[in-house]
Amino acid sequence: MDRFEYSRDREATNAARARALEALLIEKGVITSETVDKIMAIFATEMGPFNGAKLVAKAWVDPAFKILLAQDTMAAVEQMNFATKGAGAEGEHMKAAVNTPEVHNLIICTLCSCYPWPILGLPPYWYKDPSFRARAAREPRKVLGEFGLDVDPGKEIKTWDSSAHIRWFVVPERPAGTDGFSEEQLAALVTPESMMGVAIVKPPGA
Amino acid sequence: MQTSFEHFAMGAMLGQSDMPPKDNGSLCFGAPWQRQAFGMALALSKQGVFEWDEFRSELISTIAAWEATHDTSDPSWDYYEIWLTALETMVKRSGLDGRATLAP
Repeated sequence: MDRFEYSRDREATNAARARALEALLIEKGVITSETVDKIMAIFATEMGPFNGAKLVAKAWVDPAFKILLAQDTMAAVEQMNFATKGAGAEGEHMKAAVNTPEVHNLIICTLCSCYPWPILGLPPYWYKDPSFRARAAREPRKVLGEFGLDVDPGKEIKTWDSSAHIRWFVVPERPAGTDGFSEEQLAALVTPESMMGVAIVKPPGA
Repeated sequence: MQTSFEHFAMGAMLGQSDMPPKDNGSLCFGAPWQRQAFGMALALSKQGVFEWDEFRSELISTIAAWEATHDTSDPSWDYYEIWLTALETMVKRSGLDGRATLAP
């Protein structure tokens, strides 16, 4: 019971701190009471894993685009006309790590929680977890196993540490059983986890 | 004691495919104040009150300070509390708060 009380107080304190800060910023005329809602609406509609899924699906059907995505990720992203132009924060220097039969890629951010927002949205809570950040760098194979992903022992696992300079995302391998699928059908199979490298894209119906 | 990512990993193995990370974006916030803190940081960087990179540096050092004094599996870890602390520091540093005091 004590821990419950403690945690409820802490939540209340944090909520009060956030309220006080927002009130101050409104009073100083820096933001209005609608600013946070407006900004978060942009996130909900314009930035998210739905963008990343389109990139991956296009790379699967268009070999030239896949090469461009790997070599000049931002040029490839430009071609997609996502509604995130000038998104600024966390979207300026994104880079794709392409999975192959020989290499499985995993993205992490050991220092904080850098993440390619425009194409993946906000990171899930465990990405920010100190234990995940430390262990994924140290023992990625074991951590992936805990996610239910047993990477073939013959396959190399590369971890990509996002930073202020580069925010990584993974282009997973196209699953079997998808011959003749449209880009739209393929995009529907691509999960955020697969673009972080903690999962693979499963064949349809699997 | 389970960390949140281990909790997720376990859920994934048990086949709970509708665990929060699937709903990337909308369910990342555990409470409205977390969303508020996140949105304010973005807004202030957009307004030029501080550069995003300055905020990130402050966030990194606030996280590092927590990790220097806690075990990585310490369940009291609260990412957005740290985020909020970093944001308060940036606002104080910008001089925006003037003589007004932030809640303790």
